[in-house]
Amino acid sequence: MMAPLPPPSVPAEVSAALTTPRVQVTSGFQGARIVLYGAVIDPRACPCDVVVLVRGPEQSVRIARKIRVAGLWLNSRPVEFRGAPGFYMAASTRPLKTIASPAVLSQRGAGLEHLPIRSTGTPGLEVSDQAEWRAAIVRLKTQAKLYNADPEGVTFVDQGLFKSEINLPTAAPIGRYRAEIMLFRQGQAVATRSRDFTVEKVGFERLIYLFAHGAPWVYGLVSVAIALGAGWVASTIFRRV
Amino acid sequence: MNIYLPIAEISVNAPLLIALGAAVGFISGMFGIGGGFLMTPVLVFFGIPPAIAVASLASHVAASSTSSVISYTRARAVDFKMGGILAGGGALGSLIGVEVFRWLRVMGQVDVVVSLAYLIFLGAIGGLMLVESVGAIRRARQGGPPRPAADRRPIWLYGLPFKVRFSRSKLYISVIPPVILGIFVGMLSAIMGVGGGFILVPAMIYLLRMPASVVVGTSLFQIIITTTLTSVLQAGRNQTVDIVLATLLLIGGVMGAQLGARASSRFRAEELRALLALIVLAVGLRMGLGLFLTPEDPFVLMSGIGG
Repeated sequence: MMAPLPPPSVPAEVSAALTTPRVQVTSGFQGARIVLYGAVIDPRACPCDVVVLVRGPEQSVRIARKIRVAGLWLNSRPVEFRGAPGFYMAASTRPLKTIASPAVLSQRGAGLEHLPIRSTGTPGLEVSDQAEWRAAIVRLKTQAKLYNADPEGVTFVDQGLFKSEINLPTAAPIGRYRAEIMLFRQGQAVATRSRDFTVEKVGFERLIYLFAHGAPWVYGLVSVAIALGAGWVASTIFRRV
Repeated sequence: MNIYLPIAEISVNAPLLIALGAAVGFISGMFGIGGGFLMTPVLVFFGIPPAIAVASLASHVAASSTSSVISYTRARAVDFKMGGILAGGGALGSLIGVEVFRWLRVMGQVDVVVSLAYLIFLGAIGGLMLVESVGAIRRARQGGPPRPAADRRPIWLYGLPFKVRFSRSKLYISVIPPVILGIFVGMLSAIMGVGGGFILVPAMIYLLRMPASVVVGTSLFQIIITTTLTSVLQAGRNQTVDIVLATLLLIGGVMGAQLGARASSRFRAEELRALLALIVLAVGLRMGLGLFLTPEDPFVLMSGIGG
């Protein structure tokens, strides 16, 4: 006779939502702040950690090193790297390395040092150099406020209820973004959720962008026509003054 | 009041850009230069990617030049024949320049080459002009006769074939020097985002020996043609023209150019040249400075369009 099965444990869950699922880039765009809020549903009510990772559309990155030649600072040949998101945020309830082991964090891509940035096989770049170049990409993107890691970026506002802020700078790339919300317990992710949002040009900005890329030659002619017309109008007006 | 630029993908202060356009337009109208050499560094300083600054400026320069040329045409101070020949060379030069620019972007050397070009050309021209104009001012103060220019024309101007009569400039010279000058200026226009007036004006005075009265108008006329073409080529080939940025700049630019053209008649020619020389020299040295200072970060990111 078989032993009775243990009662199925109710799994822990995390749910989340964003205040702004569509960020619209208009002529007054100055960056955007999105609030992510969510709840932890955990029957065991034991201490747990929440990690929020936000990734923007991936872009290949070209980076050059400044080299000194005969007293002048010149650029080296640029090296191309892939795997760098256009925007990245890692927010958590406490420092990531106290939440989980490096192996777990690396597998999840959590933390600036675990981004899967790699060069696209440029000859002449030593493997030992790669780490330095990677670090430079992260440093420069952080300066541009495109990357950030905030070990206190997720705060519990009430029992089981947490929130986090996503600050998009003006330079945030256009495209689809994904926020991953992970619940960690004893160094393991026990529940995850993901929420998508988009950053898109709308109205006039979108029209101009599509025009410039869809019909570049006509666009060029139009912009020149505006310029020449403006010059002519100004000289006509000033002649009468 | 900030405004988002759809191609540059950054947010800038609109009234400030209009004021800048006006200030540069004023200098443009006053000295008969496009003013691009001043505007490009300022825009880059504002955080606009160099490739976009250079391309969008071409149309701003075209606008303020048009505004000035119409004024100069009324004063019969434009040699259209000479301007047309210079522009023919300029067209060829800007075709070459836009391709060179694409290649520099791939190689990641745009910022270095642009700084170097500013340092060399602006430094040299500013220095030469300063020496010459200070000498002229001194001679004028001492009441000495102006140096006779007519008999100092270089022989090679006359020895070359394909001679053409330029009646407005009172010249009968070969078309080869103006065409080569045009090609050279057209290339610079595409690479440095300048009209090339700062090279054309001295070259027309000192090399072609054109009368000073037609130099400014003719230079501006050729600049319109070259920058118009550069602008269309940059938009078509590189998609780097930001129409919103260009429009903001030209609103101020066309008005400034009108005021500048009026103001120029109140100064003596050699004093104007000395002032221009100082501005040119200062900008050249400022742009070149970055090549010698140790960079803050040993690495530099190249954005997709920023070059």
